[in-house]
Amino acid sequence: MRPVVEIEGVVRRFGSVTAVDGVSLAIAEGAFFALLGASGSGKTTLLRMLAGFEMPDAGRILLDGADITRTPPNRRPVNLMFQSYALFPHMTVAQNVAYGLEMERRPRAEIRARVAEMLETVQLLPLAGRRPDQLSGGQRQRVALARALVKRPRVLLLDEPLGALDAKLRGQMQLELKRLQHEVGITFIVVTHDQDEALVMADRIAILRAGRLEQVGTPREVYESPATRYAADFIGQMNFLPGHALPGGLRLPDGGLVRVAGEGPVQGEAVAAVRPERIRLGPGENTLTGTVRALAYHGLDLQLQVETPAAAEPVTLRLTAGEAETAPGIGERVTLGWAARDTRIFPA
Amino acid sequence: MPDSGAGRLVLLILAAVFAFLYVPIAVLVGLSFNASGLPTAWTGFSTRWYAALLQNGEILGAARNTLIVAAASTAIATLLGTALAVGVELRRRRSRGIEALIFAPMIIPDIVLAIALLSFFSLLRIPMGLHTIVMAHVVFNLAFVCAVVRARLKSFDWSIVEASSDLGASLVTTWVRVVLPVIAPAIVAGALLAFTLSVDEFIIAFFTAGAGRASITLPMQVYAMIRFGVTPEINALATLVMGASLVALALAQRLNRRTLGA
Repeated sequence: MRPVVEIEGVVRRFGSVTAVDGVSLAIAEGAFFALLGASGSGKTTLLRMLAGFEMPDAGRILLDGADITRTPPNRRPVNLMFQSYALFPHMTVAQNVAYGLEMERRPRAEIRARVAEMLETVQLLPLAGRRPDQLSGGQRQRVALARALVKRPRVLLLDEPLGALDAKLRGQMQLELKRLQHEVGITFIVVTHDQDEALVMADRIAILRAGRLEQVGTPREVYESPATRYAADFIGQMNFLPGHALPGGLRLPDGGLVRVAGEGPVQGEAVAAVRPERIRLGPGENTLTGTVRALAYHGLDLQLQVETPAAAEPVTLRLTAGEAETAPGIGERVTLGWAARDTRIFPA
Repeated sequence: MPDSGAGRLVLLILAAVFAFLYVPIAVLVGLSFNASGLPTAWTGFSTRWYAALLQNGEILGAARNTLIVAAASTAIATLLGTALAVGVELRRRRSRGIEALIFAPMIIPDIVLAIALLSFFSLLRIPMGLHTIVMAHVVFNLAFVCAVVRARLKSFDWSIVEASSDLGASLVTTWVRVVLPVIAPAIVAGALLAFTLSVDEFIIAFFTAGAGRASITLPMQVYAMIRFGVTPEINALATLVMGASLVALALAQRLNRRTLGA
């Protein structure tokens, strides 16, 4: 099946800064796609080019196979939910939602029916007559969503959709957005700097760094098999052990060897990477010994910081609540072990 | 506080200041209803001076001229001032110098502006009359309308313009349905302010009216009459003008508060 959106070698410069530097992506019909990156990674610029508010300096953007690179925003079957929500302050909730349909010159009866249906979906029907300044942040967010969705766009673009909400509401809305996307069956492209949000909501994630794609994959792929050291560091927590790459592993400064499954293509100065939750107490295929320096209790787990002669940075491991009962105390000597297949090697 | 001696003193000073400001106006309003023509004696309530006012052809002609000048200069200044405010706001980073130029007519003393405009019209050999007063009033009204509209635009969320375009609206539709309704209270407030300023402006109108009675405005008419002493008719006229100005000012403030509060 042909992808809904194809981005081909898109470049966008602002003066001497290249915000988006040759990005190519294909986004499948019905996907919940996340553009994930730190600020300045070019993710918002890329989204604004999809909406039509920025023109690429090079490259093409295709929608259903048709070139829309130069199509103005009001002629694209694509809608954007703004980070600030950008609700019209002088219109009621219902008028805000109806606006896009009025622009399509739909019959009045159809507009009324679709607005009511949409407001029902986002549970805002009782507030249809309110103005934006009479709504809470979460309600405004849902109006913005309804206003963009009611037009049944081919693709819905969301710019940091949950950025303005508090942590608890954000957690609820992540699942709510996912449910809604499933219900309406529209392709969502969401920009976020929050890796947790991307992992929870999206079924595909593109990690951007300085205007370039670092990795594209499912949440599991980018978490379990990060393609680069940056991706490994950006998503979740990661221990990095610097050393010298060898066939089948990495030689640590203290002479110890870290094994990897399969031989990495890396040579020379490198780092071995392992997730804190993959490290267990006791020897394994890879073993380090050290002294516990700090303990941090997080409710669900207990994080240990262990100082080892193998690395300057302490190694972090996470013990589950069950294991935490028999956890060592600060100053105790411990042995850490993990499997070769949980280890990755990146160029330093 | 009001019980203490110092508190009472403060209240007394406050009362004195307000008396200084408003007693003359109250006296003027009172005398306009005095049956007697003399300011020294109250002989009973009467509206005869208002009746006389309405039969005075000179005053009515001047009032008509003032309304023409105020309406025309307000309309032109509102249109241009709003466009200017939007233009300057959209190019904010590149228009620091322009900003100083826009607001100069608010600061330059009226007498300087009056002489400058008179010289300018004479130099270009433009025959003077109501139209030159209108042009002259546009000069300062433009600055005031622009200032009021810009104050509103500073807190304007431009992302709603993009949202409108994203939802399928053309540029013209976006302006008519989104931008103008949102800034409308500021535009109306600016227009009311301009109208009020124009109605009681004397110096510039005096200099740019040209010779003859045809283009005399209300303040000029009052000035001409007052040379023969304050008549109760002038009191009645002043009371009416003040009443109209107060209504306009109250409306302008209310609208402006609503926009800034939103």
